[in-house]
Amino acid sequence: MMNASLQGWGLWVALAGACLGTYVCRAVGVLLSGRINQDSEIFRWLAAVTYAMVATLTVRLILLPVGLLATVPMWIRILICVLSVGVMMSSPKRRLVPALLTGTLLLVSYGALS
Amino acid sequence: MSSSENLPYLDPSEILLEGSAAQRFKSRSDAFWSGIRDAAGAPAVVLFSGMVGFGAMGRTNGIDGWFTALSSLLMFALPGQVVLLEMVITGSSVLAIALAVTLTSTRFVTMTVTLFPQLHEKDRNPSLYAHVHLLAMTAWAVSMKEFASIESKHRLSYFIGLGLLCWLISLPGTILGYFLAGLVPAAVTLGLVFINPLFFLLTFTEVKPWVNRIAIALGCVLGPIFTVLDRDTSLLTTGLIAGTVAYLVDRKLLRKKAGVIG
Repeated sequence: MMNASLQGWGLWVALAGACLGTYVCRAVGVLLSGRINQDSEIFRWLAAVTYAMVATLTVRLILLPVGLLATVPMWIRILICVLSVGVMMSSPKRRLVPALLTGTLLLVSYGALS
Repeated sequence: MSSSENLPYLDPSEILLEGSAAQRFKSRSDAFWSGIRDAAGAPAVVLFSGMVGFGAMGRTNGIDGWFTALSSLLMFALPGQVVLLEMVITGSSVLAIALAVTLTSTRFVTMTVTLFPQLHEKDRNPSLYAHVHLLAMTAWAVSMKEFASIESKHRLSYFIGLGLLCWLISLPGTILGYFLAGLVPAAVTLGLVFINPLFFLLTFTEVKPWVNRIAIALGCVLGPIFTVLDRDTSLLTTGLIAGTVAYLVDRKLLRKKAGVIG
């Protein structure tokens, strides 16, 4: 990593901008939500758009990470995800905590052994 | 669930909803504390470890501790915080940082728009401008699932309990990560960084409506392509394209076939 990181007051202006931008998105959501009925077509469309955004973010964090996770080969990351989803879906009641533990512990073991 | 076997035309999840929607909670405080209890399981563990991972990321890159901690408290949006940190480390301009973070946060617009119309009429007032800060991906995913079985007048209290605990633990998580970085082995940090995306991936298996399932599948396929093309706008472009295609497939094809809609 080059020693180019943002210094001084620029750092705090960036933080203020990031906080403001994030809150404005939340506030715009409240503003718009007052005019939208949950049975409407636009609601169904927006729900689909939101799930697609959340899916993109998730798959990006797994397949194209920045930092430490990028040091793990992609096929290992994918294999661990497949195994965790398998544990999750092995019961109709869904095993969230066992599945989370499976994935996390497998990755920690990989990190410890490599 | 065995009773549903006698009723082949009904979705088992709908029977559950009818039975419990009338009175899941006695009062608003009952709903609030139930939200706190539900948050105290997997959501809190996931968020806490995500924040620990974020604090560790700040420390290992030589970022100011106050800066790292304040971003958790005031932004409370881990993906946006990671983008902020990445860009501060690489020395991007202030304007570029604010724009990229805001683009990453556009999901909050649709998350709020899909969650808050489910609240009771009386609760849909200006106080939501304060409560909305507690909304993050974890609380949204849990609320979207649980609201279906909660009477509308108690939904806001449940959401506040859920979101408040998640928000309150994010600051200590970040501070802990900041001071722990370098003390724990890299393998453990690896697990902490991974738990967040894994949690979201697992919650996708609980999404019922086919329109949203198609949106998720398309987002998973198109997301990496758009990320490679342009990382900063990829969330918005993939969301709009994949979401719209899923909506149209549902509207033009699936809704005409009985029994396909979840």
